Amino acid sequence: MAHFWSSIRDSRGFDALLVWLALGYLTVFSAFPLVYNFVISLQTVDLFSLASFDRPFVGLENYREVLSDPVAGTVLWNTIRFVVLSVVFQLLIGFGLALFFQQDFPGSSYLRGLFLAGWIMPALVVGAVWSWILAGDFGVLNYVLRSFGLIDENIFWLSDHQVSLYSVIIANIWLGVPFNMILLSVGLASIPQDLYEAAELDGAGAWQRFYTITLPLMRAPLGAVVSLGIIFTLQQFDLFAALTQGGPSNASNVAQYWSWQLSFQTYQISRGSVVSVLMIVFVIGVAAIYTRSTRYEQNY
Amino acid sequence: MKKYILLAFAILFVGIYLFPLYWMYVTGLKAGSEIFRFPPTFWPQTLHFNVVDIWVRLRMDRFLTNSLIIALGATAIIVAVGTGCAYALARVRSIWMDVALFATLMMQVLPSSLMITPIFVSFNMVGLLEYPRLAVVLAQAAKLLPLYIVLCRTAFMQVPRELEEAALVDGNSRMGAFFQIAVPLARNGILVTSVLVFLQSFGEYVYSRSLIGERALQPATVGLQSFMGPNTSDWSGVMTYSAIYVTPILIVFVLLQRRIVSGLTAGALK
Repeated sequence: MAHFWSSIRDSRGFDALLVWLALGYLTVFSAFPLVYNFVISLQTVDLFSLASFDRPFVGLENYREVLSDPVAGTVLWNTIRFVVLSVVFQLLIGFGLALFFQQDFPGSSYLRGLFLAGWIMPALVVGAVWSWILAGDFGVLNYVLRSFGLIDENIFWLSDHQVSLYSVIIANIWLGVPFNMILLSVGLASIPQDLYEAAELDGAGAWQRFYTITLPLMRAPLGAVVSLGIIFTLQQFDLFAALTQGGPSNASNVAQYWSWQLSFQTYQISRGSVVSVLMIVFVIGVAAIYTRSTRYEQNY
Repeated sequence: MKKYILLAFAILFVGIYLFPLYWMYVTGLKAGSEIFRFPPTFWPQTLHFNVVDIWVRLRMDRFLTNSLIIALGATAIIVAVGTGCAYALARVRSIWMDVALFATLMMQVLPSSLMITPIFVSFNMVGLLEYPRLAVVLAQAAKLLPLYIVLCRTAFMQVPRELEEAALVDGNSRMGAFFQIAVPLARNGILVTSVLVFLQSFGEYVYSRSLIGERALQPATVGLQSFMGPNTSDWSGVMTYSAIYVTPILIVFVLLQRRIVSGLTAGALK
């Protein structure tokens, strides 16, 4: 017994205990649900069989049903558009702002930090504010667009099935820009300044310096930001809840919201878990690629 | 001169970006009829304070107390369980620690809206849904624990190993060195990360919405969502509610801005 205690206080046992404490917690509350999710997706789970351990096993039947559901195609296409457009615009705006704030002027780092105010807010509140900005009749965005002459009639951002997905994308870009900008700023700051000075002496213009120095050296941070952007965008749920609830008639529904709707609004829990299993496999795939690539970079 | 032109542009960009926040506060201060004016007024013509009315009518004290309970509970679990793990992962290099780190990183990316289905079913079976706020605390702690570990690990990596070794030579135990040397020296990182975790949990929505049915136990996010409803017209009220809810968050942010920025960037790229 004494040996046991001294091993915990003084040697490897101490590190192992600390790690296992956290991993144990994660095993119970993350890894177990992850595995259990897969089990549920092979069973029939609804309100009647919810409480019993002995649920009918149906194999891949749920998967077949979900994939042949006509909504599935819409949701998949919406998810792709949501992720690609969000990530692309977050990256472009974030990179542009990072380059701008990299220049030397008073207060640059303080003003840059202010952008994170958007990131720190609860996403549901952000959704509430945006749904008022985007409101069809009295929304300020329609007013601004009209006074610049960009549109002639009010756009009903949240209820028009052709634009409702884009309204969520706009809010999501707003939410993601600060994070992109801050991470890319760190990357930019680590590029040695004398590279630019040398290039300037050799007569390289601003664009040439950007293409031959900035972009190649920013490859790793850009890759990180794209992977993290995909991961965060697939986590986005609150904006959908606050803005469109996936509607009208699934026009702005995406996989992570659909999965929740199936489980908690129509109580087709096994179908909800099918969507969840498929999406989690994808998210973990992206995360694994990202983690491996950053480890690789570190070895330099 | 060029510097001041750049500064002017920078202020313009910040202004455009933070316009939604401004719009939230301004709308909250407008009277009901002024809301529905097109073109909208960018400064309220008559100031209309309905903070007290919204606070009392919607029982915001109850909502915010629940948010606070959830955020404090999740943060307490995360700090208690995660700090030591972050330390061990920063100090020991072995294949097992690499595996543990990789597993942690993978669990960090699991979206709440996808994890809620199995969590709901399994919590229901073991009877945890009888205590819905505890259920949310447990699930939310699991959601943010990996992020906390990753960010705190970088804080511990910046503590020089030699200081601990000196303490060991002086006869301190590993546990003593951890509590008396490593934790105090990494306290800034631990503190900022805890604040981040706290603020995230203070705005938690998915788990609370799905696991807490009873209105008296719901946090402020769920309260806001049901206040908005599908066809709300009380936008002044919704924006007042939002402003009451996020103002404390924004104050904490302004106070800790520099540290949050540096803590975040240190963790995310390593």
